[in-house]
Amino acid sequence: MAYFEVNGVSKSFGSNRVLRGVDFSMEKGEVVSIIGSSGSGKTTLLRCITQLEQADEGRILVEGEPVFDAAETKRLSKEEKRRRQLNFGLVFQQFNLFPQYSVLDNLMLAPRLRAKKEPDFSKRREELLAEIKEKARAILEQVGLTEKAKQYPCELSGGQQQRVAIARALMLSPKILCFDEPTSALDPELTGEVLQVLKNLAKEHITMMIVTHEMKFAREVSDKVVFMADGVIAEEGDPETLFQNPRSPRLKAFLANTTL
Amino acid sequence: MAEFWSSLVAFFERLSGQFPIVFQALNSGFLQTLKLFAVTLLGAIPLGLIIAFGSMSRFAPLKGLTRFVVWIVRGSPLMIQLLIVYYFPGMVLKNNWWGSGETGRFLAASFAFIINYACYFSEIYRSGIQAVPVGQQEAGQVLGLTGGQIFFRVKLLQMIKHIVPPMTNEIITLVKDTSLARIIALQEVIWAGQAFMKGRSGISGELWPLFFTAVYYLVFSGLLTVLFSRLEKKLSYFRT
Ligand SMILES: Nc1ncnc2c1ncn2[C@@H]1O[C@H](COP(=O)(O)OP(=O)(O)O)[C@@H](O)[C@H]1O
Ligand SMILES: [Mg+2]
Repeated sequence: MAYFEVNGVSKSFGSNRVLRGVDFSMEKGEVVSIIGSSGSGKTTLLRCITQLEQADEGRILVEGEPVFDAAETKRLSKEEKRRRQLNFGLVFQQFNLFPQYSVLDNLMLAPRLRAKKEPDFSKRREELLAEIKEKARAILEQVGLTEKAKQYPCELSGGQQQRVAIARALMLSPKILCFDEPTSALDPELTGEVLQVLKNLAKEHITMMIVTHEMKFAREVSDKVVFMADGVIAEEGDPETLFQNPRSPRLKAFLANTTL
Repeated sequence: MAEFWSSLVAFFERLSGQFPIVFQALNSGFLQTLKLFAVTLLGAIPLGLIIAFGSMSRFAPLKGLTRFVVWIVRGSPLMIQLLIVYYFPGMVLKNNWWGSGETGRFLAASFAFIINYACYFSEIYRSGIQAVPVGQQEAGQVLGLTGGQIFFRVKLLQMIKHIVPPMTNEIITLVKDTSLARIIALQEVIWAGQAFMKGRSGISGELWPLFFTAVYYLVFSGLLTVLFSRLEKKLSYFRT
């Protein structure tokens, strides 16, 4: 049994069958990069995993527990859905920070609201909130933004904003952290700082799925690379093999058009 | 030149004699203006939100009906709406449910103004709601926030920031639009000023009190402009 499994996930938008039975699995602490040309369904796959979209078919399991099952007929409560969703974190291409909150408050908003659901919240209020603040400070340090804690997103560069977004996702300690082209909205000179943060997380064995066009990065940090084409996984393997000896003509063509 | 000068002096002498009486009358008229203004805001601000949700409903008939009503209300003159609201019950239904006198006129005017302004506000709200990127909703969702938390903690302030400038314009317009209630003889400040033409409190044939009412509107809308630009400034610490 793998740590994380996606079984036969399909998704259509109208008559456009975007995912056509995606099967995929990874182990705890692994880093998997997903590559593929635009429109191949990478974003849709991440959105189905993080349950921003509901897949039409298939199952998603974390540690053997189903977190999504298209065949499930029983209606889940909203809270149960959120609980399952929280197995995953998602970092967006466009950061999507909350503009009206300071960096620190962006990190603390969700954990504080979640903490209210703790049965002993009223008793341990101060303690819980202090823990959250401490964690936020530690994570900010990890992404190198300690001095920016009190600033607002609009005062930061794109690279800094994306690092805040990563920190915000880490606050809820997701089992699997997903990234959708985290550097694609950045100026080229700002991608390095974000990729460095990802490398550091990889060293700490945070389980990550990263959709990326940064081939050099994918090759360096990934335990596994997955190539998507037309809504299926066309080829997968360890980075050296995949980049050196692509088997399918499609991957060969894709790599030929990409600068390493 | 000398003649012009002396007639000007005479005018101001007359004016200063009449001023205390006129001032008092205009003040009580303006109180009615303020009441209409306040009641309209109190009613239209929440009603506009309901209409905005209706006009964005996924239930097509509700959405269609709401947008149709909004189109009628925004597309026809408020003055006509006032006349219809005030006279329709009595003339057509033979039952003037507004009641007689100033209270009846105030009720009818409030009703017409609230509906009219709620429709305008609803369009502003709708643009504010739609101005918040879906990414904000989705970021909240993947962080495990509930629908209510996403609305109140994430989206609401961004919407408010977006709607403050158009709401300011609309509210300043409302200040001046209250004068339309004159058409059903509501005793607001214009009515009070006009009364000195026909004759009131021993003053008649005077036009200046009517002109002077403009000062009330200027001062009040000036105050509101200052207030709202402060609010706008307060919200300028973040950019969406
Ligand atoms: N919400 C949606 N509604 C309709 N079509 C969509 C939607 N999201 C994605 N698609 C379509 O799905 C296909 C795959 O898109 P996407 O998953 O974004 O690919 P990628 O991230 O690999 O570029 C595209 O053809 C896109 O137009
Ligand atoms: Mg994409």
